[in-house]
Amino acid sequence: MTMPPETPGAPPPAAPSPWLVLRVWFALGLQSFGGGAATLALIRRAVVEQHRWVSEADFSRDWALCQITPGINLLALTILIGRRLAGAAGIAAALLGLLLPSAGLTLLLTAFYARARHAEAMQAALNAVIPATVGLGLLTAYQMARPPLQSLRAEGAGYGLFGVALLAGSGAAVLLWHLPVVFVLCAAGAVSAAVHGLRARRLAQRARAGSR
Amino acid sequence: MNLLTFFGLVLKSSLFSTGGMGNVAGLHDDLLPRGWATEREFAESLAVGQVSPGPNGLWVVSFGYLLGGLRGALLALAAICLPPLLVLFVERLYRRVRDHPAVEGFMRGLALAVVGIFFVVLIGLLRGGGGPGVQSALIVLASLGLGITRRVPVFLIIGLAALAGVLLR
Repeated sequence: MTMPPETPGAPPPAAPSPWLVLRVWFALGLQSFGGGAATLALIRRAVVEQHRWVSEADFSRDWALCQITPGINLLALTILIGRRLAGAAGIAAALLGLLLPSAGLTLLLTAFYARARHAEAMQAALNAVIPATVGLGLLTAYQMARPPLQSLRAEGAGYGLFGVALLAGSGAAVLLWHLPVVFVLCAAGAVSAAVHGLRARRLAQRARAGSR
Repeated sequence: MNLLTFFGLVLKSSLFSTGGMGNVAGLHDDLLPRGWATEREFAESLAVGQVSPGPNGLWVVSFGYLLGGLRGALLALAAICLPPLLVLFVERLYRRVRDHPAVEGFMRGLALAVVGIFFVVLIGLLRGGGGPGVQSALIVLASLGLGITRRVPVFLIIGLAALAGVLLR
C-alpha cells in the first residue's frame, strides 16, 4: 500500500457528485464477493486510498459507530460515508449503488436455486453446503466475540470470565429455557451495562480518594 | 404467510441485533413456531447469502424470495435497509454520551449475547441439514479450517463443499 504523503495546505479533493458516488458504489457492490471483511476492505480502498474522500481517522470512527448501530454494519457505513460525500443525495446514491448489483445477484441466484432445488444432485450439494455454512459461521462467531472479550479481559480476569459466562448464558437461555431472543439480548445488555457502570464508579471513587 | 407481518418481523429482528447475521436468531424464534419457514429454508438462504456478493446480511433477500417470491424478497430488502439509517441518530447521540461507561457496557453485553444465540442457530442448522453425521462434522471442520487461513474466498469454500456433496452421494 503506497500512500502519497499528506501535503499540508494542499486543497482537499472536490466533493464528488451523487452520480460519481453511485458509480463508485455500484462497482463496489458488483465486486464484493466474499462477505463482510472483503467488502469492508474494498470500500476502504476506494474511499480512503483511491479517491481520498475520507481520512483514515474518520473512516475508523465511522466504522466504530456502525458496530453499535442495529442492522447490517456495512449498510450503516455506506450511509455515513454517503452523507460525508454528498449529503442526503449521497446516502441514496451510495445505498442504491451498493445494493442494486449485490441484491440483484442474490435474487438471481436464489431464483436459479429455487428452480433446481428438487433435483437430487442439488439436494446432495446442499446437504454438504449447510455444514460448510456452519463452519464459516463458527469463524464469524469467533470474530464477533473477540473484540468485546478482549476489552473485558484487559479489565481483569474476572471480567473476562464474566464475558464468557454472559455469552454461554445467553445461548443456554434460548436453547434450554426457550426464552424470547429479544428479551435475552436486552437482559444481557442491561447486566453488562450495570457491571461496567459499577466498575467505572469504583474507579472514579478510588481516583478521588487517591487525589485527597 | 402474511407479507406485511413478515416485513415487520424482519424489521424487528434487525432492529434488535447488530451485524448482517445477528437477525437470524430473532427470525428463527418468530418464524419457525408460525410454520412460515423451515430450518431447511434458513440454511438454504444463508448459503446463498454466503455465495452472492454484498454484505452477508443480504441472505434475508434470498430468504424472502424462498418464502414469498419477488415481493417477499423486496419487502425483506426494505426491512434490512431501515435499521442502519439509525446510524445517523447514533452518531448524534454518540457525541453526547460517549463518555458514559454504561453505554459501552450495554453494547458489549449485546454483542456477546448475539454470539451466544448465534451458536444455538448453528446447532439448529446442522439438525436441519440432512447429510450423514460424520460427513457433516468433517465438512464443518474443513470449512472452518479453510476459513481461518483467510486465503480461500468464501464462495470457493461453499463451492468445494457442494462439489463434495455431489461426488459423495
